[in-house]
Amino acid sequence: MQFKKSDLPKILDSMAKEATVLAPMKVKGNSKFAPWGTEGELDFGAQNVLLPPKDCLFPQTEKMYRFETDGLKVNDFEVINESRPTVLFGLKGCDMQSILCMDDVFLTKGYVDDFYKKKRDDLLTVCINCTTVAKECFCDSMGGSPNGHAAADIQLYDLGESYQVKAQTEKGQKAVDSWQQYCNKDEGEIKEIACELKVDMDGVPEKLAGMFEHPIWEEISRKCVGCGICTFLCPTCYCFDIDTTKDGAEGTKFRCWDSCMFSEYTRMAGGHNPRPSKKERVRNRFLHKLEYFKERYDKNLCVGCGRCVAKCPVNLDITSFIDQVKEVASHE
Amino acid sequence: MSECTCHENPLVPQVCVITDIKKETPDVKTFRVSTRDGKKPFTPMPGQLGMFSILPVGEAMFSITAQGEDYLDFAIKKTGQLTDALHEAEIGQEVGLRGPYGNTFPVEDCKGHDLLFIGGGIGLAPVRSFIRYALEHRGDYGDIDIVYGARSPEDLCFKEDLMENWPKEKNTKVHVTVDQDLSGEWKGSVGFVPAYLESLNFSPEGRKVVLCGPPIMIKFCLQTLAKCGFKDSEVITTLEMRMKCGIGKCGRCNIGSKYVCLDGPVFTMEELSHLPNEY
Ligand code: SF4
Ligand code: SF4
Ligand code: FES
Repeated sequence: MQFKKSDLPKILDSMAKEATVLAPMKVKGNSKFAPWGTEGELDFGAQNVLLPPKDCLFPQTEKMYRFETDGLKVNDFEVINESRPTVLFGLKGCDMQSILCMDDVFLTKGYVDDFYKKKRDDLLTVCINCTTVAKECFCDSMGGSPNGHAAADIQLYDLGESYQVKAQTEKGQKAVDSWQQYCNKDEGEIKEIACELKVDMDGVPEKLAGMFEHPIWEEISRKCVGCGICTFLCPTCYCFDIDTTKDGAEGTKFRCWDSCMFSEYTRMAGGHNPRPSKKERVRNRFLHKLEYFKERYDKNLCVGCGRCVAKCPVNLDITSFIDQVKEVASHE
Repeated sequence: MSECTCHENPLVPQVCVITDIKKETPDVKTFRVSTRDGKKPFTPMPGQLGMFSILPVGEAMFSITAQGEDYLDFAIKKTGQLTDALHEAEIGQEVGLRGPYGNTFPVEDCKGHDLLFIGGGIGLAPVRSFIRYALEHRGDYGDIDIVYGARSPEDLCFKEDLMENWPKEKNTKVHVTVDQDLSGEWKGSVGFVPAYLESLNFSPEGRKVVLCGPPIMIKFCLQTLAKCGFKDSEVITTLEMRMKCGIGKCGRCNIGSKYVCLDGPVFTMEELSHLPNEY
């Protein structure tokens, strides 16, 4: 089943009647997943949009509950858990994989995070395969693929003038059913591609498990300036803080993105900080991405999207780091 | 691991009331908390944690030091913004509470063993939940020894328990020491916990140890315990980390791939020896 690319705006229009449709767009020089129908241009280029899609499931700031106090008493207490049907359209395989990482964190291991779950249940994911890769892309080294993702509700294949459509879940099928007027029954040939940037993850998590005290951390962390860009732009970084805003007697509890690259992150009320310097923080970030998460959830917490590789101001490159670990592995 | 059953949304606290406040030391107070309709907010096991908040100020995680029919007790030391506000609080103050979080002391594994509890300063707060449990299930455990130290006589937490209640219990001994005594009225031992512990010379035979206190005390007590022949697998402790969510999501309290809020706070020294030394 296929539809013509020229019909895409109509399909997006029709979906936007019932849901917020987020698609990769260039908006005033910024590239991000932005609501279809607002100002901006669709951007299906090889390079990932700069901002990852995590914001729609895990907003940068998210209100959790509000309350009103009066002296000793709490008068009003109300949970806020807002969500509306949302379509993430035009995801690349790496960003789809990042959603699966988030699912593991927020939906498994004993507790279900209600704020996340509500938004996740309201979400329809539409992937498009990549036809070219950017020089920073390395998803196929991290367990993903530029050629699509089996967990997307709908997978689209770019055939040049048209998209071939594959519904992969019931939810996806329902959406595709409503596109019928734009679709024909043709089947085209899907071209597969591979990333140019390669890393070899084989044995790396196991190797890292024995490298906690290795001098490599001191060495690589020296140039980090602790800006947190790598965690901010990463589609899988999910750490958050919980805080309060107050306006007279009224208050709101919210959570917001945090970064393990900041020293405040682990500092305790008494002043003790288990990760006092850049060395410990860089180590924790890389080990979390490449070892700890794998141990806990059996996935890499790096999906190879390339954002941090492209944007770290001092070029502390996770792919070079993995290469370096391999070197250590062969010498010792 | 226990599920949060008190709430559908595990990040949302229930509104509770402080029904009693007791001054333990110049900087520690015990807060008794019940639900608005006078019930116990939830039923924790020894060692578990509760996320306590003064809603407009903030939330922090504390060990639950005791529980009764209709209340939970938190012994809280003044250390920062929230605890300062808490120490100003009065009876009747409504607070937020969510939990219970974390794993528990291995109360089953310890059955049939003698128990040696070692606490320093506010470190007696988590230990006390297990001491109370063991005393309530007295028949399940052998001899109980409680070794406790604080900076000075006035810094001793839970004095009533230490001086009156616990020594009266069957086969239970309490050994108290203070770092220094300026009052001149202290009749007991003066000296640091590790040295005091060494002088008591406990045998490891059939005995489990629960050890909580400041890191430096733990470090030296471990050396003493090793000298006495205790194995790491018989020594149990609790860890403290900065926490925000309490449910293994916010990423903050990790040590390696473990989350202290979920997989801890209780660990044996043996388990800790397999984790990165970052706490
Ligand atoms: S983006 Fe680079 S410099 Fe900034 S915190 Fe991350 S590793 Fe450090
Ligand atoms: S660590 Fe870097 S390359 Fe990996 S998923 Fe995060 S931003 Fe992308
Ligand atoms: S406090 Fe959030 S993960 Fe432990």
